[in-house]
Amino acid sequence: MELLSEISKQLEFGNDEKVHELTKDAIASNIDPKIILNDGLISGMNVIGEQFRKHEIFLPDVLMAAKAMYVGMELLKPLFIKDKIPSLGKIVIGTVKGDLHDLGKNLVGIMLKGAGFEVIDLGKDVPPEKFVETAKDERADLIGMSALLTTTLPVMQEVINLLKQNNLAGEIKTIIGGAPVSKEYAEKIGADAFAFDASNSVLVAKELIGII
Amino acid sequence: MNKRVPININDIIPSSKDVLHHQGIPEDSVVPDHIISLFEDAVKVFEEKAKPVAIIKKVTANEFNDIFEGEGKNEDQTPLENIYSHSDDLALFALTVGSEIVDIINDLFNKKDFARGAMLDSVASMAADKAVEVLEAYLYNNLSEKNLTKNGSIVLGYSPGYCGWDLSGQKKLFQRLNPAEIGITLNDSYLMSPLKSVSGVLVHGDKEIHVFESSFTFCSYCKNQTCHNRIKKILNSG
Repeated sequence: MELLSEISKQLEFGNDEKVHELTKDAIASNIDPKIILNDGLISGMNVIGEQFRKHEIFLPDVLMAAKAMYVGMELLKPLFIKDKIPSLGKIVIGTVKGDLHDLGKNLVGIMLKGAGFEVIDLGKDVPPEKFVETAKDERADLIGMSALLTTTLPVMQEVINLLKQNNLAGEIKTIIGGAPVSKEYAEKIGADAFAFDASNSVLVAKELIGII
Repeated sequence: MNKRVPININDIIPSSKDVLHHQGIPEDSVVPDHIISLFEDAVKVFEEKAKPVAIIKKVTANEFNDIFEGEGKNEDQTPLENIYSHSDDLALFALTVGSEIVDIINDLFNKKDFARGAMLDSVASMAADKAVEVLEAYLYNNLSEKNLTKNGSIVLGYSPGYCGWDLSGQKKLFQRLNPAEIGITLNDSYLMSPLKSVSGVLVHGDKEIHVFESSFTFCSYCKNQTCHNRIKKILNSG
């Protein structure tokens, strides 16, 4: 459908005003909101994600596209049952206790939402118990943890230990990331995955819930 | 006695190269005009709204030893204990670029203007790091005026939260330095507010004391390259 392709294309350009206008047109044309979401907005974000992975575009381009995505999603939201956008899966994210650096975590949240995940952002300085309780209560599929300070890395281990103590390991999978975090560290503490950047977190999250 | 150190905003504006690198843009890339504009706009906002300020306080190695031990949560072995024990001079420091910049960044993210928010965040973070370099130069010059420097000596800053110095070290550091004087406070998790603030210790001594091998337990899983870059800079400084 031409209108949906145009939404996707304008989203790739990061033109949020045009995406707003076209999404309104699509709604007025009685196109199923789920189709507008999947074939217009998410389709555009998937192209952006791919271009970013191939280093054809840069982070600011992704973030401009994400803004356009949010603008479109806000228009669609009331059209879904209980204002709930259909999602690929639910992920609880946060910067671990003892750390206030949240730029990376915010970017991960933006990218995951853009890819169609439901994201519960606990913010920064999040205690291990809060990660586990929220993931349990919200029946989340994944927990994503971020850290910048090297001395706060052990908090990630505490979250994984808590999941094990609550018999939730495996059921709720864990992704870790942040400047000092490595794949080796993820393996050492028993995290299910390591994401090296925000874009990679989408791929990793999809892999963990079995979409790809 | 605490000493307020003036920080000229022009001395801490980061280069486009550093900020774009912070944004993950490779050095040899052809950067599109719209991204350059985002950077220039962020710098403009930073120049208008940032209020950089710092305080420092000289301490003895014995005094710093107690501060460094903090709440007893440091790694068993850390590079800093070997560094400060061989230092000539030590000074605690805290600096901030102000709370207004942090509010603007949060506001941009709340308005879903992620690209502007992230660019301003990068500019502010890099500026705070550059402010530490300004303090390093300030202390060096101060010591030099009193003929307390020697050939080959340098000043480098170290902060809790990195290389085995546990973040809880901030507690005693704050008790001793009182950065509340310049508007920086500490929460129960030992984290600073405003967000774009840095604290730590400035260490003056022979440049060789700052060089260490990445053979500490925590180095095996840490992929942060900051220490390597600093050491490389020292070794290349002649």
